[in-house]
Amino acid sequence: MSFHPLMLYDPERFQRSERRLLEEGEPFTFAPERRAALDELLTKYPPDRKRSAILAALYLVQEQQGYLTANAVRHVGGILEMTPAEVEDVATYYVMFFKEKVGKHVVQVCRTLSCALAGAERVTEALSHTLGIAPGETDPSGMFTLLEFECLGACDRAPVVMVNNEDWHERVRPEDCGRLVEDIRARGPAASSGCHLRIERP
Amino acid sequence: MDTVTLTIDGREVTVEKGKTVLQAAIDNGVQIPYYCYHPGLGIDGSCRVCIVKIEKLPKLQTSCSTPVAEGMVVSTQTPEVVEARASVFEFLLINHPLDCPVCDKGGECPLQDFSYSFGPNESRMEFPRRVFDGEGVRADVDFGPTLMLNRNRCILCTRCVRFMREIDTDPQINIVDRGYGSEIATFQEEGVHSLLSGNLMDVCPVGAITTRDYRFKSRPWDNPDAVDTICTLCEKGCNTTAWLKAKPEWAKGARLIRITPRFNPDVNDYWMCDIGRFDYRWIEGDNRLQKPLLRSEAGVLEPTDWRNVVGKVADRVTAAGGPSALGFLVSGHASLEELALIGRLGGTLGLREEGVAVGWRRREKPQAPGAKFKIPPVDAPNLMGAADMGFPVRPTSSGDADLAAFRGDVEAGRITVLYVFDPGPEGTLGDVSWIVEARQSGRLQHLIVQGVLMTPLAAAADIVLPGAAWVEKDAAYVNEQGRLQGAARAIAPPGEAMEDWQILVNVGLALGAPLTYTSSQEVRAEIAAGLGDNPRYAGLAELAFARPTAAGNWLKTSNPSERWKWDFMFQDLPPVKFVGKPGATSWMNGIPLTEVE
Ligand code: SF4
Ligand code: SF4
Ligand code: FES
Ligand code: FES
Repeated sequence: MSFHPLMLYDPERFQRSERRLLEEGEPFTFAPERRAALDELLTKYPPDRKRSAILAALYLVQEQQGYLTANAVRHVGGILEMTPAEVEDVATYYVMFFKEKVGKHVVQVCRTLSCALAGAERVTEALSHTLGIAPGETDPSGMFTLLEFECLGACDRAPVVMVNNEDWHERVRPEDCGRLVEDIRARGPAASSGCHLRIERP
Repeated sequence: MDTVTLTIDGREVTVEKGKTVLQAAIDNGVQIPYYCYHPGLGIDGSCRVCIVKIEKLPKLQTSCSTPVAEGMVVSTQTPEVVEARASVFEFLLINHPLDCPVCDKGGECPLQDFSYSFGPNESRMEFPRRVFDGEGVRADVDFGPTLMLNRNRCILCTRCVRFMREIDTDPQINIVDRGYGSEIATFQEEGVHSLLSGNLMDVCPVGAITTRDYRFKSRPWDNPDAVDTICTLCEKGCNTTAWLKAKPEWAKGARLIRITPRFNPDVNDYWMCDIGRFDYRWIEGDNRLQKPLLRSEAGVLEPTDWRNVVGKVADRVTAAGGPSALGFLVSGHASLEELALIGRLGGTLGLREEGVAVGWRRREKPQAPGAKFKIPPVDAPNLMGAADMGFPVRPTSSGDADLAAFRGDVEAGRITVLYVFDPGPEGTLGDVSWIVEARQSGRLQHLIVQGVLMTPLAAAADIVLPGAAWVEKDAAYVNEQGRLQGAARAIAPPGEAMEDWQILVNVGLALGAPLTYTSSQEVRAEIAAGLGDNPRYAGLAELAFARPTAAGNWLKTSNPSERWKWDFMFQDLPPVKFVGKPGATSWMNGIPLTEVE
């Protein structure tokens, strides 16, 4: 675009926004079994609507490397025929996609009204104390990340703590938190007390 | 056409089936504000300012996303609507910096205008505004090579996102985060890279997206004149408006201050490309030819006067030994009038058929394959017209100009006087290095260049005749669709430069051709008479050329994509509103002045 004196494009001198960008990360391709799973899923959509599988694809990325990187976003975009900008649009809309490195176990405390009324803040404090990190942080061992989330849809069992986007711990009291953390450390996802929907309506 | 009849504010209106309530209102002069709706883009329904009451529906509806139905009863002025609408405006402004005094959109900003007309008198917001990257213009960040983005001002209407998705079809703009955290962004801050990027400034209803070209350059009231014209930088011929800055004759700087697209559903819709929009600085640049130039004995190009130079042209042509030694290389930028005169000239001189060639440049424009607005490859506005006028428009298999035979004649010395007519920006005649080469080696004895810029070609010439760029003359062109359009004279040619038809008439007279035209209009009338049986040229004799619109009218020629709004909305600025009562908490909340009726 050299026809304009003000438009010489120089990325080096670009005045960039201060917004937090995705890490470039390692070069990314899906492991064969995940790629196969995604391809299998894509057969369920019309060929010109590949993008419909975006959430599944982003979950597969997290399964593979725990969080989203710019390279992963480009890779997903390439498969689903979307621009990286479109993928990022979706990825940043949903809180369960992690835009920076997280620990092996992501502990997500609901902070929305029902849970808040039932003492979620105390639970967060207790977890924070046990793990030695503030909400939003990852502990130095890379084992735990503590996050505050909005309503997890189990308000009648407030306060609720979710682990790794999957496993519910309901009616959590601050004094339970120490054991909960130990349990997760020891047994991983198996430590989940489970969603009452699953337990009560098998 | 199926129609639907509905009632808006007690008035019965009939509109085409499938239109929305908002469109029905706009078509019938009913005032409903809107931001996310844009006539050239898909419907989003995100800004909520277009809400209206529709009877039998329980809640207020967004008129932009509600299709009309038979017997619908719509009200836009009931207290319920007025109040709800004002609240939406209040929300839209809770984070808006209101830095209108330093904002480039100020004065032609729908957010200003609509907030003023439909918003509340004062904001009750007591908390700090959300700020990205600093306050005011410090928050401007680069948004690709052509644009700047100020997210403080953005109202998240997503017009820019939709433009990239639907028209450019390479969605590079997204919204990151959600809710209160939402912001407009590009992936990894790479910016927007598209030849259609300038349109984002037009669609943005606030000052969030501005062009680097126009930033801080002028305010709307500094450009009192706007001229409806067309772009001639390629064969598409987009309809445009040229904006003129008011300045005294002696003041430095350009008059042509920006070019914006003008709606034409048959040619360019609401859009234009960045080449047409931004490649205009050369017109008032330092490199323009301002005086006729003549190569002196010492071999230097020296300024001279028109009488002398035109005489010299005639001498050279006569001395060269008649028509067989003369060649014309005409750019695809030549208008119908200019072509007609060159034709007359050639006819008078008895020029050989091979003595005339038409040149142009072809370059593929990088665009997404699905782009809804395609920029054609040929950078010449009038090839179709040239072909109709009987000029040899000969493309090679790749679409470039086939000048092989002509070039052969020049290089072999069969053409000894070459007259090049090149009124386009540099390079649009295609490769001309072979001419420079032939002249310098002496195989070509005389080179006459009628053009606009001091190009290497002009620098090699013996005689240089300064002509006019397309915004400096009334001229007619036929675009790639075979559509006849006129480019209007918005500014005068610089210095002693003349409109090209005049130069050609003078040269013709000097050569003894009986040319009696006193205006370009007369030339057009004659072409129209000659091409009378071609329906394409039916309107040529009466082709109208816009003149600068009067200063008082600048509001009407506002932001082009909004322009049709002015046709029915504001005749003038609405009366000044002041807050009626002292603000709730402090003096700062509103200076208590009396309300204006
Ligand atoms: S930048 Fe402009 S066009 Fe884009 S969402 Fe914001 S206000 Fe709308
Ligand atoms: S597409 Fe062609 S005619 Fe339209 S603005 Fe661009 S260069 Fe000018
Ligand atoms: S408020 Fe916590 S689960 Fe709904
Ligand atoms: S114009 Fe209708 S919601 Fe924005």
